[in-house]
Amino acid sequence: MTSLDSIAVLLGVPGPWEQKGGAHWLDPAGRSVRDVAAAMNACGARFVTITAYQLSGDAGMRLEYHWDLNGQLLGFHFVIASLTIESIYDLCEAADWIEREVHEGFAIDFTGREYEPLLLRAGATPGVNLREEGK
Amino acid sequence: MSYRIPMGPYHPALEEPYKLDMLCEGETVVDAKLHIGFNFRGIEHLTETRNYIQDIALVERVCGICSNIHTLTFCQAMEQLTGQTPPPRAQYIRVIVAELERLHSHTLWAGIAAKLMGFKTMFMTCFELREKVMDVLQAISGNRVNYSMNRIGGVNRDIEDPTALLPMIEELEKEMARKVIPIFTTSSTARSRCAGIGVLTRDKAVSCAVVGPTARASGLPQDLRREAPYAAYSELVFDVPVEQDGDVRARLMVRALEIMESCRLLRQALIHMPPGEFHTPEGKIEFITGTALSRVEAPRGEVMYSVSWKEHSRNPSRVHVRTPTFVNMPAVRWMVQGARLADTPLIQASIDPCYSCTDR
Repeated sequence: MTSLDSIAVLLGVPGPWEQKGGAHWLDPAGRSVRDVAAAMNACGARFVTITAYQLSGDAGMRLEYHWDLNGQLLGFHFVIASLTIESIYDLCEAADWIEREVHEGFAIDFTGREYEPLLLRAGATPGVNLREEGK
Repeated sequence: MSYRIPMGPYHPALEEPYKLDMLCEGETVVDAKLHIGFNFRGIEHLTETRNYIQDIALVERVCGICSNIHTLTFCQAMEQLTGQTPPPRAQYIRVIVAELERLHSHTLWAGIAAKLMGFKTMFMTCFELREKVMDVLQAISGNRVNYSMNRIGGVNRDIEDPTALLPMIEELEKEMARKVIPIFTTSSTARSRCAGIGVLTRDKAVSCAVVGPTARASGLPQDLRREAPYAAYSELVFDVPVEQDGDVRARLMVRALEIMESCRLLRQALIHMPPGEFHTPEGKIEFITGTALSRVEAPRGEVMYSVSWKEHSRNPSRVHVRTPTFVNMPAVRWMVQGARLADTPLIQASIDPCYSCTDR
């Protein structure tokens, strides 16, 4: 069974894991979301979801990626000021719909993938649903 | 020659909207695209405009079948942000309502599956049993759909005489074992319509990250009640049924066996329910700044809530709901590939989809 520490080693980040708010969190320390997704695939973790949080001012968004490893919920967060992040869809098929939903709800661009047709709001403009302008 | 068959947004079997665009060669489905969002309600955004009492009522309406699961998951997340720990009796009551809800959901699904097979007598039998489950839920909560049982720090209503519910559970179990399960598992009608169709291989189940009975029917033994126990599940004994074939029959079998396991859990919880309070003391609830995550094994699979709060705020700053159907639905594309067109309604129904959850 893969231990949490071995995931940190696999990713090449110092850690440590922090248990907080119902999940185990690891600071990706500059590693990309694709590196994290590849490491999660390597240890057999199950993708759970992506949660997007809008930060105040022009700080951008915080994206929290979650995987399940034998009942343990793992979390990695990425702050994106430019509202752009690499897609993990080609590494993790299960991320398809949630990437599309976050794109539609918050106008975040997951680079390297197609979106059309819109999943939730066919014909509408992305990003006007859940994202607040001028927050 | 290939042609497109649009199915939906008004589904022939399930009275909720979504669309499956199928590319067919003759009677065989070659590929399919799914479209959802016809009734998207923006509940995540609405929660940010309401206080925690209103939000509990709101998230109960994410789903009409597993309404209790949503309030349970939401309250568990908020208990982390308020430092409240529900008393042991409340944890047992949460298990009882959650398992009754699973029974309700699985019998409803069994009825709909029977109808899609053209087995309408079985549909009536399943719905008669579902009525009995709803009677038990009504006896506990006073409600048949939205039970309003969960609150931060416990439950709203006690089960004063748990053993009085035992005969109802035993009667249900008997009828399940005598009527529903043997017919679903041995009748030639059920076998001919379900065996070998809508196959989701184990590898595809892993890559799609499907959850709940859909995953367990493809050989993945995942169940949060065992892997990450919540409420009182760690104190109760139960098995997690797993089938290997990944077809509609396997999904039917998993749910049928889960019905029996739910009865087993209910019997234990009713007999061993500890005495004491069923919620934490009344008083003003103070939230800390932070994010809390909670996961629960709903009848259709894992539900996850992520709740963010800022101290002294009346409303959450963010609530994200990850429902099981949102994860299981994309797998339908792979299940219908190579299937006969006539089998596709049953294949779609076999994941027990909830569009209300998906269009939260």
